[in-house]
Amino acid sequence: MSRVHLSDEGRVRARQRASGSAGLYLAVGVCALLFLVPFYLIVRNALSTDAEITGENWQFFPTDLQWGNVTELFGDETVPFGRALWNSTVVGVAHTIGTLFVCSLAGYGLARIPYRHANKVFYVVLVTLMVPTAVTFVPSFVLVSSLGWVSSFQGLIVPGLFSGFTCFLFRQYFLGFPRELEEAARVDGLSYWGSYWRVVVPNSLNFFAAIATITFISGWNAFLWPLVIGQDQEAWTVQVALSAYMTNQTVNFHLIFMATAVSLLPLLFVFLFLQRWLVQGIAQTGIKG
Amino acid sequence: MSTPTSPRGAPGIRRVRGVRGPTLHFWLFTGPFLVGLVIFVYVPIVWSAWLSFFEARSTVTPSEFVGWDNYVQMLTSGGFVKSLGTFTVFAAIVVPVTWAFSLALALMVNRLRFMRAFFRSVFFLPTACSFVAASLIWKMSIFSGVRFGLMNTVLGWFGVDTIAWLADPHPPWYWLVIVTVRLWLQSGFFMILFLAALQNIPRELYEAAAIDGAKSGWQTFRYITLPQLRATSTAVVLLLLIAAYQAFDEFFNLLPKATWGQPPLVDLYYTALGENQDYGRGSAGAMILTALICAVTLLQGKIMGFGRGDEEYTAKGGK
Amino acid sequence: MPPRSSFDRRAFLRAAGGLAALGALGACGSNTGRGGGGSGDLTQYFHAYGEEGTQQAIKRYAKAFGKADVRTQWITGSNFESKLFSALLSSDAPDVFEFHPQIQLVKAEQIVPLDDIIEPVKDDFVEADLTSHTMDGKIWGVRMIDDPKFLYYRKSLLDKAGLKPPGTLDELVEASRKLTTDKVKGLFLGNNLVDVARPLIWGSGADLLTEKNEIAYHTDAFAATLGTMRTLFKSGSLLLDAPADYWDPSAFNQGLAAMQWCGMWAMPAMQKAHGDDIGIIPFPQCADAGGPSLINGGWSMFVSAKAKDVDLAKEYVKWLWIDQTEYQEDWALNYGFHIPPRKSIAAKADKLKTGLAAEGVELAGKYGRFDNPHWTQAMITAVEKVIADAVRSGMAPEAALDKCDKTVNRELTSLFG
Repeated sequence: MSRVHLSDEGRVRARQRASGSAGLYLAVGVCALLFLVPFYLIVRNALSTDAEITGENWQFFPTDLQWGNVTELFGDETVPFGRALWNSTVVGVAHTIGTLFVCSLAGYGLARIPYRHANKVFYVVLVTLMVPTAVTFVPSFVLVSSLGWVSSFQGLIVPGLFSGFTCFLFRQYFLGFPRELEEAARVDGLSYWGSYWRVVVPNSLNFFAAIATITFISGWNAFLWPLVIGQDQEAWTVQVALSAYMTNQTVNFHLIFMATAVSLLPLLFVFLFLQRWLVQGIAQTGIKG
Repeated sequence: MSTPTSPRGAPGIRRVRGVRGPTLHFWLFTGPFLVGLVIFVYVPIVWSAWLSFFEARSTVTPSEFVGWDNYVQMLTSGGFVKSLGTFTVFAAIVVPVTWAFSLALALMVNRLRFMRAFFRSVFFLPTACSFVAASLIWKMSIFSGVRFGLMNTVLGWFGVDTIAWLADPHPPWYWLVIVTVRLWLQSGFFMILFLAALQNIPRELYEAAAIDGAKSGWQTFRYITLPQLRATSTAVVLLLLIAAYQAFDEFFNLLPKATWGQPPLVDLYYTALGENQDYGRGSAGAMILTALICAVTLLQGKIMGFGRGDEEYTAKGGK
Repeated sequence: MPPRSSFDRRAFLRAAGGLAALGALGACGSNTGRGGGGSGDLTQYFHAYGEEGTQQAIKRYAKAFGKADVRTQWITGSNFESKLFSALLSSDAPDVFEFHPQIQLVKAEQIVPLDDIIEPVKDDFVEADLTSHTMDGKIWGVRMIDDPKFLYYRKSLLDKAGLKPPGTLDELVEASRKLTTDKVKGLFLGNNLVDVARPLIWGSGADLLTEKNEIAYHTDAFAATLGTMRTLFKSGSLLLDAPADYWDPSAFNQGLAAMQWCGMWAMPAMQKAHGDDIGIIPFPQCADAGGPSLINGGWSMFVSAKAKDVDLAKEYVKWLWIDQTEYQEDWALNYGFHIPPRKSIAAKADKLKTGLAAEGVELAGKYGRFDNPHWTQAMITAVEKVIADAVRSGMAPEAALDKCDKTVNRELTSLFG
């Protein structure tokens, strides 16, 4: 008897849930549409002619897809976009590898190697967490320019490698790394250095990948520092080039939006294929700012 | 080649190769990072502190000592102080709005049964976009002041006249532009954080509440979900604040030649790298800002508890 | 570098790989251009001209020089000044660059005098262009082009509204209002209106600085003009937030505005879009004491004091902008219109002798005001802020001007004591 009663109630609930979920899907759907509008605009504008974009009536989609805009973009001499893409790639990759290398070593050292003053050293790192690096861009520029690194890859990459925050994340991660694995390695006669590369790193690839994805994205999307350092057009990154497009003497909508589309491609790739690590990376970096 | 190892637990006894082993390795591991940190973080700050006491226009090796003059100028000339006000307004809008919106997204996505991954990806996708690209889309296409801008087109369908979203600060439509850019870019990121946290809330809590007669919906949200999300919420607010301190890209690109809507970094950029190249004042501004941020961070730490955040992190990170 | 003894071999190789990658980055650094410059190299800075073919032309001239490998930096974006100024400070300063005559370049010893290369052809230059480049008794730059700016208007649209070209600021406000429809705005003065600051000052009967280098713009008439501009700004008849700024003719060409403030360079493009349906006037009178005026802007070549080889840089400037009259003519006339500052070239410029272009030359001669080299970039920015404050943001004009005075006085003190 009670069984029948329950299933009745169950049906009522299911119906309620169905109507509730229709509303839910409507709300989510509207939000999703709004979120996709900018992407729609990029695609529409990138593949239109300027006449279609600036016409009197809104044209929802170009009548002929203008794939020629791609070649036009890379042939345009006023903004060296191909060069900017290359610069961003070099900077993004080098920034990621360099940061991971330097910060993971330091994080491991701080977490696992016994040293009397390790805590004091850690404080030296912690203090820098209080001041976002962007805030000190003026002094950093002064320093880098006196090193003669303005408009160079060194200037774009090196100052960003020493992230107190990434080091902090690695330290926290290594604090939680199972000691047994290392101990086994040490019994096998490996030094700290050896066990780090042979045991710790291979067993932490997920964490490395997560941090790498986040680091790459922030490197690719960085604007203020590349703007300050990239005095020379040859040293522009994609973001600086995009910004220049916005204030260019002439406005070619199709080129500007094609450039935007191209600048997004590498990251969409990251999203499609590395989303797992990206999400994990966000969870890792997000919990503690 | 290899050092005899000392199994953990007996560190004091088996230091066969002396204290040098671990100490040497400690410096080996941390050395490169620390050297870089000193050169690229500490030295600039110290140099800048020095510069801030000099008349340093168009030079980084000045000779004219001016005492606190640059500080006085920065704090009285208006622009910099105004920029702090702008930051306050900006943070006061963008932090709660983004917090609420990303939480709402997370709650909705969490309840989806079909196409959940799809919607999650859609909301998450803007994270790939840079502030520059987003500003470009917003300025050139969505909030363009001409008739073929998207917003003005839509308004035109309802017979509303075109609006200059950015040029005219009264009414301050530019805040709508600035805030929506940030909302679009950041909500997905924080939604992911909230989603992770939502999935960690034990189901039993809801079941128990149902038995106690709590209606699912507002009541469970208010008394179970929200308290359970406290740690994540705190983290999200902190992250949003830190991001707001560093706001530069969209302001720089959306509001050129304006005397309003300039957060501190934009003001410093124009002071130090504009036509005057006034490194002295720029440095003074950077010092003031640094001091302010340190003060705020310490205060936050006091209020929210620095150590506790640490534990939360380890619990999450080590999962 | 970590001591080798403590690693095992494979770990070392792996670490070495990482370091090699970093090293490679370092090596990439020199790829960004300037690094490997020998003494035979020159770098020149140009702001990005919008007219098609300009960049190719500049590169073509540079290539023909023969005595040095000349690299061109074509600086896109609206912040050419700040890019240039920070480059001039750095060790990567350009050897030659285009800019406007401004005295702080001289005071900071950033440029070198060019009297010796100009002397032989001194009489061929327009007097005013020589005056504006003379500071402390020396000539510091070679004028390449003069660029007058006008108010362009669509004749047909004015006729339809029963208007004649506005002669005063009040008439301009009125015309702008009447010309506005739901598809077309009456007037486009640029997205932030800063470029008309000087015509507004001159039109009010004021000036930038006095002979003695004191503030001359801060008058009651100019404050009143700012008030009128505020009315215009809020009238809804101005085109604002257009994708391209005033220097680009596209707003006018796309029919977004019936009148536009723009340079003579855009004249050919506008004629292509609207044929004969275009008229030009100077910026109208703003107060009884003033009169119509227009900016006679332009660009000049300067030689950096930091040039690796100052003589070579000077030789290049002399070769291109003094000797090669053919290129100078090409530059002034074939990519948008500019007035050649050399009388001999201007005399041959047939394209500027008929129709609208001839009218433009005449207006420039009659109402054009040349650069005042004592009016530096910092002061320009200060006045731009007045426009932002008083016109766009609604601050009381007096308050905005007082704020500006502080900045300008500080600059004047540091320049002239």
